[in-house]
Amino acid sequence: MDFLRPTTWEEALAAKADRPEAVPIQGGTDVMVELNFDVRRPAALLDLGQVAELRAWGMVGGFCRVGAGVPYTTIIEELGGPLPGLAQASRTVGSPQIRNRGSVGGNLGAASPAGDSHPPLLAADAVVEVESRDRGVRMVPATAFYLGVKRSALEPDELIRAVHVRPATGPQYFSKVGTRNAMVIAVCSFAIALHPGERRVGTGLGSAAPTPRRAYEAEELLARELDWQAPLDPALLRRFGELCAAAAAPIDDVRGTAAYRVHAIGVMARRTLTWAWNDHLGRRAA
Amino acid sequence: MTTKYAETEPRQDAVKHVGRPVDRVDGRAKTTGEARYAAEHRYPGMAHAALVHATVARGRIEAVDTEAARAVPGVIEVLTHENAPAMKPAPKTSLMNLSSLASGTTVSYLATDEVHWNGQPVAVVVAETPETARHAASLVRVAYRELPAVVDFAAEEPNASPQKSSVLQPAGGDKGDAVAALAAAPVSVDLRFTTPPEHHNAMEPHATIAVWDGDRLTVHEGTQNIAWLRAHLAQRFGIPERAVRVLSPYVGGGFGGKGFVWAGTLLAVLAARATARPVRLALTREGVYRTVGGRTPTVQRVALGADGDGDLTALIHTSVAMTARIGGMPEGVVSSSRHLYDAATIHLRQRLVRLDLLANTAMRAPGDSVGSFALESAMDELACELGIDPIELRRRNEPERNPMDGKRFTHRMLREAYEVGAERFGWRERDPRPGSMRDGRWLVGMGVATAYHPSLTMPADVTVRLAADGAVVVRCALQEIGVGAATVQAQITADELGVPLEAVRVEIGDSELPAGPGAGGSAQTAGAAAGVLDACRKLKESALALARRAPDSPLRGRRLDDLEARDGGLYHGGRGETYAAILARAGRDHLEAGGGTGMLKFLAKTLNERRRWVKAASGAHFCEVRVDRDTGEVRVSRWLGMFDVGRVINAKTAAGQLRGGIVMGIGMALTEATQVDPRTGRIMNPSLSEYHVPVHADIPRIDVHWLDEPDPTMPLGLLGIGEVGITGVAAAVANAVRHATGKRVLDLPITLDKLL
Repeated sequence: MDFLRPTTWEEALAAKADRPEAVPIQGGTDVMVELNFDVRRPAALLDLGQVAELRAWGMVGGFCRVGAGVPYTTIIEELGGPLPGLAQASRTVGSPQIRNRGSVGGNLGAASPAGDSHPPLLAADAVVEVESRDRGVRMVPATAFYLGVKRSALEPDELIRAVHVRPATGPQYFSKVGTRNAMVIAVCSFAIALHPGERRVGTGLGSAAPTPRRAYEAEELLARELDWQAPLDPALLRRFGELCAAAAAPIDDVRGTAAYRVHAIGVMARRTLTWAWNDHLGRRAA
Repeated sequence: MTTKYAETEPRQDAVKHVGRPVDRVDGRAKTTGEARYAAEHRYPGMAHAALVHATVARGRIEAVDTEAARAVPGVIEVLTHENAPAMKPAPKTSLMNLSSLASGTTVSYLATDEVHWNGQPVAVVVAETPETARHAASLVRVAYRELPAVVDFAAEEPNASPQKSSVLQPAGGDKGDAVAALAAAPVSVDLRFTTPPEHHNAMEPHATIAVWDGDRLTVHEGTQNIAWLRAHLAQRFGIPERAVRVLSPYVGGGFGGKGFVWAGTLLAVLAARATARPVRLALTREGVYRTVGGRTPTVQRVALGADGDGDLTALIHTSVAMTARIGGMPEGVVSSSRHLYDAATIHLRQRLVRLDLLANTAMRAPGDSVGSFALESAMDELACELGIDPIELRRRNEPERNPMDGKRFTHRMLREAYEVGAERFGWRERDPRPGSMRDGRWLVGMGVATAYHPSLTMPADVTVRLAADGAVVVRCALQEIGVGAATVQAQITADELGVPLEAVRVEIGDSELPAGPGAGGSAQTAGAAAGVLDACRKLKESALALARRAPDSPLRGRRLDDLEARDGGLYHGGRGETYAAILARAGRDHLEAGGGTGMLKFLAKTLNERRRWVKAASGAHFCEVRVDRDTGEVRVSRWLGMFDVGRVINAKTAAGQLRGGIVMGIGMALTEATQVDPRTGRIMNPSLSEYHVPVHADIPRIDVHWLDEPDPTMPLGLLGIGEVGITGVAAAVANAVRHATGKRVLDLPITLDKLL
């Protein structure tokens, strides 16, 4: 197995272009587990740990541009204001050691339906910046990024450079159910983001379908019927929960049954919308 | 006030060590990484072994292709049943030779083409590095002729056959006609429970380093039973016991999983012999699941009948558990029901199915941990039926004598445990109506259950040596599985001899030392303590005998029983002298004495005691849970355990053991289950990422207390505490969940979907 160790982004893109079969490794929290258990033996590993650019975040064109290598710990400590949904999800990842190593870029690269960062990225209309040496930059909306279980829109010669998320203009929440309180893959998860300026609510479902996905019909329901000045209508809240649950297409596995997941998605949808709505009204009143 | 305080505080307590929260003597070595566990030793020329596991549950090996593995640079040897040197078969088990029980399975590894379970080692690769060995092991190709296998416990349960009783473990029993009494009872419950297979998951995966020097064998291994391991290796490899040395100074957790000898150990020794190299075989976590047995699954029925006042008229407890065709210990699943309640009639039965799986083995409180889940859940349900407080129901049915046979309890304080525990926990705050206590979206529930574990001792040989400079060395091949084995025996020795704790060094973990008891059955501390007390007494008698020979000794004419050991010597009131003075006058540089009981005398004493007495550690668990009413998430929010464990030797290590048992019980209650594929018999979650033990965030503050009343029949009055902590825990959680939600969960673990 070759171990490629670029020190700049250009070198990394060149290495990936020359060796498209190379598996990128950032924090190693997914890739190393697969190697340890001999799930795969790539011909080459492309270590991005030396590429400093990936570990920085900044504001670009009104978006928060989060480098693919920014660890969860940094997101929690520095981005809780602009990206509250993503920061909340980051807090639930693994353990302190894993949060120090793991990154959103890695989560996107692995494209597991259970990845914790996907639901808040979907709810907040994130865009993934990918790049190849020969074809340049592509901006892929998160909604178009996830193609199947552990499959993404990333081409073999491309690397994930960053994820772009507009700073929150309204409350955002993330909720997750697990079989224990930490160090566990989600049974299912849900994220919500209010976009008051557009009179719109974004959603994201995790571990509830072959890919992370949005509950479009539920979002459309709110866009149509939500009165942004008034308390939440309980009937509307219930229908929102039902449509979110209906958007799920889960499986039975060792962590939970499909029926449980559908139920829990509905609960988390109602719960996170209620939390967000209380904040929204509170903020308006303040 | 000051004077009164001084009067009630006996002077010698200021220097006594027994009972105090003394730091572990090896705490620093363990926390700094200085302590070297089995896998961390190195020998010149040491090779590394990896196992190839069978992928069918039952069959014959038709062909093994080792060519690709042998071609890997660095591979030294690939051992299969076609080329491995023979081992002697496992011995027939006999109570006259307890080490004959040491065998994890009856399989003669690499001596047969037969496959008995999915995961059985069918080849061993020896290589220059562990990575090479593992890689080459993945290249070994084995072709099988599959045979029909019975691997599905649930499907096989109706075909269970009665379990045989033994001298030490009755498998059933009757008192009156419980079936008729149940039918006639005005109030009754009749419930069917299931518990899944579980694994120990000690932090240290099993590892062995085997070194042959001619026909002498040295083995580094973390074991719970040095003497059994030594005897077993001698027998399997045809050498005398004295030619085997087992080194096991530190064991990274055992919980029963290191009490018996499993494939990895034998194959490391075999590989070392075959290659004439020191061989290290460190199992992966998956390797532990595939080759070391775990806890049996169970199906249990508990039916209780009561009159309107809550007096039990019938107690029926029956169980089905497993053993494997290739071994496994039948568990005393219904054992607690022999002792806990004064029911007018009792009917107990244990049945077994035999499966084509890896043999089950002891796991922390075998029998009692799973049996108490069923019994104590059923008692709680009966309390609900009767509308009686569950503590009151237990109090009404607390027996004066052992319910099955009228034997006396040496000591029993469950009433006190409940009374004091309820007060400290705030049980009276509990509103008995299910679902009545809320905290926001959380349903709050409080539950109790009884902890009970029989107490044993095992014989130990101990020597104590006291040098003229005051240094004391205690020698006994104890196993330090995390319990503070050396620490507590040092405390006892320091008190018995009246010397400072720092002066005592306890040597353990080496088969060259006098034989210790195994670390199992919660019996190590008591057994070793008996030996230490005996040796210390003999040593003091020797010192006194020396002193009495001198005309000017202040001890002249004194008897040992009149003397107090303190300040490094023997004293009668203010008069006496130090050991140093006695030794100096006699021109001796040390004294040494041995203590302990021979096995025959020990067995006779044990059987005699069992005819007369029933003894056990016990306690009351108090648990508070919060259940999310919409998602079914369960959070244990408070815990208090009030125990009757006789005299506590070390308040710190004792609390650690009791807490550890509770944590493990919370895992059993909420998350732990070994998933066996019912089609193939293969374990599907052989890792800590898929088998969920509790994490810190799952465990609240756990208060543990004890009544500290010595048991009159045990050395120093101590009762073993390694296992009692886990018993009753799963029931306390289930009962709290029942109180929070109104739902009775009968099948462990209590996962999210069972609460919707």
